Amino acid sequence: MDVGIVMEDIVCKDLTRIYESSKRKWVVGEKTIKSVIAVDRLNLEVKEGELFGLLGPNGAGKTTTVKMLCTLLLPTSGYAEVRGLDVVKNANQVRRIVNMVAGGERMIYYRLTGRENLEYFSELYDVPKQKIKSRVSSLLELVGLKDRADDEVEKYSKGMKQRLQIARGLVNDPQVLFLDEPTIGLDVDIAKDIRQFVRKRLVDEQGKTVLLTTHYMAEAEEICDRVGFLFKGKLVALGTPSELSRMLGKFITLELIVQGATEQAVKELSTFGDIEVVSVENVEYMEASALKIILHVTSDELTPQTVMRFEKFGAKVVSLNVRKPNLEDAYIHLSKRQES
Amino acid sequence: MLTFIFRRGRKVNLSVLRVILAEMRKNYKQFFFTYYTVFWVLILPLGNGLLYYFMYLPFKKTNISFEWLGNALNMDVTGFILIGQLLYAFFMSNLVAGAIFDREREQGTFEMMLLSPANRLAILLGNTFGASIRYLWLMIGTLFFFSFSFNVGIQINDFAAVFLSLLLSFLALLAFGLSLAAFSIQSRRGGLIAIACQEPVAYVSGVVVPQNAIPQTLAQTGYLIPLAIGLIALRLSLLGGALLQDILFLLGSLLIMIVVYVVLAHFLIKFAEKNAKKKGTLALF
Repeated sequence: MDVGIVMEDIVCKDLTRIYESSKRKWVVGEKTIKSVIAVDRLNLEVKEGELFGLLGPNGAGKTTTVKMLCTLLLPTSGYAEVRGLDVVKNANQVRRIVNMVAGGERMIYYRLTGRENLEYFSELYDVPKQKIKSRVSSLLELVGLKDRADDEVEKYSKGMKQRLQIARGLVNDPQVLFLDEPTIGLDVDIAKDIRQFVRKRLVDEQGKTVLLTTHYMAEAEEICDRVGFLFKGKLVALGTPSELSRMLGKFITLELIVQGATEQAVKELSTFGDIEVVSVENVEYMEASALKIILHVTSDELTPQTVMRFEKFGAKVVSLNVRKPNLEDAYIHLSKRQES
Repeated sequence: MLTFIFRRGRKVNLSVLRVILAEMRKNYKQFFFTYYTVFWVLILPLGNGLLYYFMYLPFKKTNISFEWLGNALNMDVTGFILIGQLLYAFFMSNLVAGAIFDREREQGTFEMMLLSPANRLAILLGNTFGASIRYLWLMIGTLFFFSFSFNVGIQINDFAAVFLSLLLSFLALLAFGLSLAAFSIQSRRGGLIAIACQEPVAYVSGVVVPQNAIPQTLAQTGYLIPLAIGLIALRLSLLGGALLQDILFLLGSLLIMIVVYVVLAHFLIKFAEKNAKKKGTLALF
């Protein structure tokens, strides 16, 4: 029997990053130093050929972690390695085997064409001269920009710029790719295309190791092999999306649309020990304002009681959806627990 | 100039020259992104040259007293200032090259440069060289065009002296620009520093006033900047009829400056990169 040895491509041991900023009152006044712990003793292992999702709210430390791993930031303490190479001591070797793609429309030259951008970055990565043309052409084809390759990037749409960014991240054929919120601000269909591209082409076909940071739970649930929840720099949960969803165990999720509910009614609900209010948002239902309330209840037998509780406050439940908890529910549950 | 790096037992040839050329190409494509830019780059130096000439034309009959190593020379004022302004414009192009990294940092491409394993000094050199080579036209073309068309007192006895003065001034200013660019990575205030430096540098380097006419402490500070030494060499060889042996000391000083500033840039960029990664200021602005 052929037993494949799976190595860890990314290893973090007590990885910590503290940002310090100093401010002086006037020019010669007293200097105050403010410290923010962005990443707090992070321990993490990502296997070769794995698509790992690092999830967390804004400011959780996702980007800082990625930047430390791709040598753009020095850790304050702790240790990290990529494919067995220390990211601090062997930074130059690490840079050859990794690349990073971030969301947004930056990190490319707008006055250059898509092809020129990729050729420029290929030169920086010392891609053999005879390979540059064919690699750039195949990358442009891979991301669907072949027809617009010779147009200036400033004429590209947001989605095209993002696809070019992904192509840029692949110019050195990296073994480990860091994707930092790659679908942020993109249309739903373009974001889906990019997710499928990452999963099928990069991970399944090419066997690349991908560390994806996102705060879109559905994105991670759709494509990641394993995910980790990062809160205030700390890794608070780790597992496959289904493992983490099951973490809520006995809970079931109720999605209700309620008309005429007051905040008081929702507050009252949370005083019951067997009901956890996950989120409340204002929505429009049948041309009338309503509240969309997501609850966790310990048993589906509590469903009619919950509806009755609302009606007791004069509110009307106009829609009810009972489902199993998903990654987003687990995430919200954990974040609430962390905040409290 | 090739760097060799080992990867999994295989020798990889990382060409520094390739990075320099890629940086220059990128600079050019970004700068000359429309034909109008090409037109203005060709026309503006002519306009500047005319401006310098006519600005100082009222003083045409006044010769300027220029002293170097105890010898006093009388030089044509317009020629003196024209050379000063042109080399100064070239110096400014190097200051601007340093500030380019501010823009790169803002658009996030600076991080992408440093994410690559490319030689940092080559990136700097490509940027600085790319920005400054545009001014070669201004420096050489305009200088000769106006010098011969308007009779600004050109007196050349040794073309080798003129050529070497131009070449070494160009390279020394380039090396100086490298250090400034490396410093600008560290400070994140490249543009501001460039603006603040303009007038003091012009004064201590003797751009419009000969150095013997300014306080000696300031004049001596000026000798640390290649602009001042380059100007003396160029003025002596172009307006003073100096021979190569007369300006050997100046050319030697420029040569030393080239070495010193390249080495300084090398250490500054290393320090700046490490410091920026420590403080997390590569992308933050």
